[in-house]
Amino acid sequence: MEELVKKDHIRVGLEAPDWKEAIQLAGDPLIESGDIEKQYIDDMIRSVEELGPYIVLTRGFALAHSAPCPSVIHSGISLITLKDPVEFGSNNDPVNVVMCLACVDKTSHIETLQKIARVLMQKGSIERLAESKTVEELYQRINNAEEV
Amino acid sequence: MALPKIQCVCGFGCGSSLMLRMAIDDVLKKNGLEADTLVGDVGTCLSNPCDVIFISRDLAERIADRAEMPVVIIENFMDNAEIEEKVLAYLNEFNK
Repeated sequence: MEELVKKDHIRVGLEAPDWKEAIQLAGDPLIESGDIEKQYIDDMIRSVEELGPYIVLTRGFALAHSAPCPSVIHSGISLITLKDPVEFGSNNDPVNVVMCLACVDKTSHIETLQKIARVLMQKGSIERLAESKTVEELYQRINNAEEV
Repeated sequence: MALPKIQCVCGFGCGSSLMLRMAIDDVLKKNGLEADTLVGDVGTCLSNPCDVIFISRDLAERIADRAEMPVVIIENFMDNAEIEEKVLAYLNEFNK
């Protein structure tokens, strides 16, 4: 099994009152591991304010990200689930799985992102991620396509 | 005949647009079709030469009135069936 999302970067069943807090919580693990600075979280939130909730790519799932910038120290991906779903104002609301993508440039993360997309494109995968009860369970499901 | 050039667009050209391009490449391969696919960001995509733009509904509004090329809206970036249907429909038009 190839690790696409590190265990340290996974959280389950978090409580967020709104989409901004959800993005904040999704970015926290990357701050804690020193991969991004807080500014990047503000950038992700601002991009939704400016560009709209297009990051909600499919029912229940948001891919929060901003442009490569100096506040990204290492490329990284984190993944959280929410206890109660939040509204982003998208047709694909409500959202209870949030992934945060930080990249140092526009290309070096392509391969990882493609593998994640293959996991997410399987039917019912978002529901199964959302239903994960433990970090270990979510870790297995996102990193092991056959488990999802 | 020149291959159709399909631009996949998201906010910054490095997240969801990459996922969409991969899904479109899969559709092309599965159906034995050929096209050039590229990614772009919503701020600059209209100055990238292409035959069509594939984009999410939320972002489409920002470029629709200025775009000189067709703009195809994808509602669900993880729905292979929707993406396949829209890619095939576009290529049918292109090849007419």
